Amino acid sequence: MGAGHPRNRLRGMGFVDRHAKWLFPLPAMVFIFVMMIFPLIYTLYNSFTGWSLSSGAPRTWNHFANYARLVHDDRFLLSIVRMFYFTVAAVAVELIIGTAVAVFLNRSFRGKNIIQALLLLPMMATPVAVAMVWMLMFEPTAGIVNYLLSIVGLPQPGWLGEARWALPTLILLDVWEWSPMITLMALAGLTNLSSETLEAAAVDGATPWQTFWRITLPLLRPTLTVAVLLRVIDALKWFDTIYATTGGGPGYATETLNIYTYQQAFSYFNFGYVSSILVVFFAIVLGISLLLSVIRGRVEA
Amino acid sequence: MASLKRRSGLGRVGFWALLIFILLIFMSPFLWMLLNSLKTPIQIITLPPSFWFKPTLSNYSNVFEQQEFGKFFINSLAIGVGSTFFGLLLGLPAAYAIARYNQGRLATLILLARMIPGISLLIPWFIMFRALHLTDTYLALILTHMLVGVPFIVWVMIPFFEAIPKELDEAGRVDGGSTLQVFLHVILPISGPGIVTASIMAFIYSWNNFMFSVVLAANNTKTLPVAIYNFISYAQIDWGGLMAAAVVITLPVLIIAILTQRFIVAGLTAGAVKG
Amino acid sequence: MKPRFAMLAGSAVTLVGLLAGCGGGSVGSSQNNAGNPASSTKGVTIRVVLANHPWTDGIKKLLPDFESKTGIHVNLESYGETQLTQKLTTEFTSGNSDIDVFAQRPLQEARLFVQNGWYQDLNGYVKDQQKTPTDWQYNDFFPSALQTENVNGTLTGIPIVVEHEVLYYRKDLFAKANLQPPKTIDELVTDAQKLTDKSHGIYGFVARGDRQASVTQFSSFLYSYGGDWFDQQTKKATLNTPEAIQAFETYGKLLKDYGPPGTLNMSWPQAAAVFAQGKAAMWTDADSVFQNVTDPSKSQVAQNVGIAKFPAGPKGSIPYSVTSWGLSIPKTAPHKDAAWQFIVWATSPDTVKKLQTGSSPVPGARASLWNDEDMKSFPSDWVAAAKASADGRPYDRPLVVQVGQARDIIGTVIDTGIQGGDVTAAASSANQQFQQLLDTEKK
Repeated sequence: MGAGHPRNRLRGMGFVDRHAKWLFPLPAMVFIFVMMIFPLIYTLYNSFTGWSLSSGAPRTWNHFANYARLVHDDRFLLSIVRMFYFTVAAVAVELIIGTAVAVFLNRSFRGKNIIQALLLLPMMATPVAVAMVWMLMFEPTAGIVNYLLSIVGLPQPGWLGEARWALPTLILLDVWEWSPMITLMALAGLTNLSSETLEAAAVDGATPWQTFWRITLPLLRPTLTVAVLLRVIDALKWFDTIYATTGGGPGYATETLNIYTYQQAFSYFNFGYVSSILVVFFAIVLGISLLLSVIRGRVEA
Repeated sequence: MASLKRRSGLGRVGFWALLIFILLIFMSPFLWMLLNSLKTPIQIITLPPSFWFKPTLSNYSNVFEQQEFGKFFINSLAIGVGSTFFGLLLGLPAAYAIARYNQGRLATLILLARMIPGISLLIPWFIMFRALHLTDTYLALILTHMLVGVPFIVWVMIPFFEAIPKELDEAGRVDGGSTLQVFLHVILPISGPGIVTASIMAFIYSWNNFMFSVVLAANNTKTLPVAIYNFISYAQIDWGGLMAAAVVITLPVLIIAILTQRFIVAGLTAGAVKG
Repeated sequence: MKPRFAMLAGSAVTLVGLLAGCGGGSVGSSQNNAGNPASSTKGVTIRVVLANHPWTDGIKKLLPDFESKTGIHVNLESYGETQLTQKLTTEFTSGNSDIDVFAQRPLQEARLFVQNGWYQDLNGYVKDQQKTPTDWQYNDFFPSALQTENVNGTLTGIPIVVEHEVLYYRKDLFAKANLQPPKTIDELVTDAQKLTDKSHGIYGFVARGDRQASVTQFSSFLYSYGGDWFDQQTKKATLNTPEAIQAFETYGKLLKDYGPPGTLNMSWPQAAAVFAQGKAAMWTDADSVFQNVTDPSKSQVAQNVGIAKFPAGPKGSIPYSVTSWGLSIPKTAPHKDAAWQFIVWATSPDTVKKLQTGSSPVPGARASLWNDEDMKSFPSDWVAAAKASADGRPYDRPLVVQVGQARDIIGTVIDTGIQGGDVTAAASSANQQFQQLLDTEKK
């Protein structure tokens, strides 16, 4: 609608000016198109073929056989469940801890900048490298974590080595890594919250709890919505830490969809079948991202 | 008044205690990494752990002498800097156009790149790079890391450009500048903080990337996150070397993060403040 | 205005070109050398892709000898074993790899790679006297190792490392309890029970419990109980035979009742660490990893580690005795003759001898070098145990194409045993799945 106005202004100028709207984003678009579209088409094509390195048979067109097989593949279905369990639990805990720490830090004190800088470190450190340290710390018999628990007389779980603890442990590691991001985003959002507002609320007799629900949280909602959107996309696809610590084990206890995909591709070499999983995977991430974008639009409206 | 003061005094002690506790939790893996990188293999697996011991630097000499981490370091650096530079080259004009001409749909397309599962890209990319004779070149790795970096740069820069008043563009045009000139000489110079933010984030994403590098890097281009696996071999595992390697890999990122925390926080919230 | 944009684009292209140039060392070297092999290999650069392994460390140190002798330049890369498989598969699948030599695990990958036609058959090279000097002595390699490398008539690789499953035990703990190292699996179980002292953090037994990794170390238990993965004649799965179920139950009981917590996530590094810390009395694993527990700089119990032959089950002591690694040439290799020269040198009696007597010795596959003099770098009980195991079973996992899937199916039963679940039910369901897998491979 508003395009008419600048177009009038630009009349008579060069080709670049008249088409800046398209020319400026063009290199980025071409780049993404080339890097992404070929793999996408390739994957889509493979998902309709019976291509497996282990079958010895040539690649054949098998229509929807791969997709039909997905419905009966328990490991596939369970890996989706685990992916959602991991994502929902991790992001929820991160949201709570991240916001709580932000509210806690939302005051002026000496060294606040340093604290903020330190809080950046977990999400910035190379995940594969940090995973090695986790392995050492959470080692059930030799690790420092269980050693400390034994000193205070608490039970010592098997952490990554015990089926029912493994996924919660990975959630814990994710919470460590990403809660600080939510804290930092929320802290930035809270700078808009003037101390007068809070004092006024206190004078009106509001408890800190009421102040949080009625004033702080509504103010933070747009920030937190974006944080959740970003976190969910990444948590659904999370790979590095799981790959480096459990590889999907014990048993299949931590096999999320991304890890299962990796197994099908590089342990089983079923390139046709894995393509159909990837198509579904991409669709899930895309669908959820769109859903969250819509919600985000509502929140901000 | 007196009671209030006392309460805040007690509160202060409680505040610092809690603060230190929180910090300890979030910093513990780094401390443990550093501590163990200075221990001998046998000290690492000894319980109770010692916090006071004669530190050894032999793990670090392993990292740099036996494992040529210097070379991997340079590879990581070149690929990180390259992918950030070319990412900015593509991402900045795109973000500008999207911000100025309301090209929301293009933004969505760019963000698609963030959602695609990385595994689906590996084999097609390898085929592409072989056909172009690009395997084991910096360029191939730079291109793949850019697919992560460009969406990030665009995501950070759109709100940044939107916040620049349109009057500035128009003033530039009245002076006879073309869109490109306005972009280069008026907009970019005042976008320094945003560009710094976007660059840092793109660089760190590239530095930390594991999956793309495993498959697409070889002898000449192996990066640090891949090289850390050199300390786990078929018959030996070197925890001390692993920890020293982990320190070497994370330290540059941590230093960058601490020095530029203001910008990174701005980048994190870029999409949130006005999106 | 236009030229300015073009200039920008132009300089970008130049930069791209520059960057492409500076990383492209190995790309330009793939020139054709179809001519006379002897003269044309000089000055050639070959790309050798190996695993992170003590063998690789050893060969790296010897490389200058080879390069100065032949004029061939070697570009050596090494990766963790799973990353290596991933890399090889990606490159070979693309049909366009420039790898000249790679390290392969014949039992894990050879059938798959043969099926896809990725190997250069080495039979031709071995027999060609122009390319292979007679003093290389092909017949000196263990026959079982060569048999392992031979898949459906293709000689897929030349063996470099052999491996047996042995029992590691703590001499001091056994002496204190007045026990002798177990000769049978039954004794192993009772000893494990006696030596377990959880209040002091001592566990009777430790071994791998990780779904994929445990399968190979479980295999010796299976064989010694008289079981096997499947009947090679009829291609019938045998995972739920009484012998197999006994083996699954024993292995599970050992780790559940006498093992440390967290065994389900243990491959050899974790199990070795538990043993090296002095927290376990016995450990069964490959003999090749012995340095992790016998080297005083890595192990707190180095002085007290004993090594013995794998204990006997109802059918005797039948440990695996396998060729864990070999060197191969891919069909697509650009410099096959130079690649073969490298393999001949790396597996020559002279080189193998150097690798076996170095500071981190690697047991090679040459029969003539398994004498006391050439094995002096290994502990004497290690040599005795390894030699006694030499006629063990030449595979530690089922000989199928889909090894990854098979290991997952079997590992699930092992894990059920460790968790104290219903092993019989798990074994019969696994047997069914494994049979389906075998059926898809029957042709």
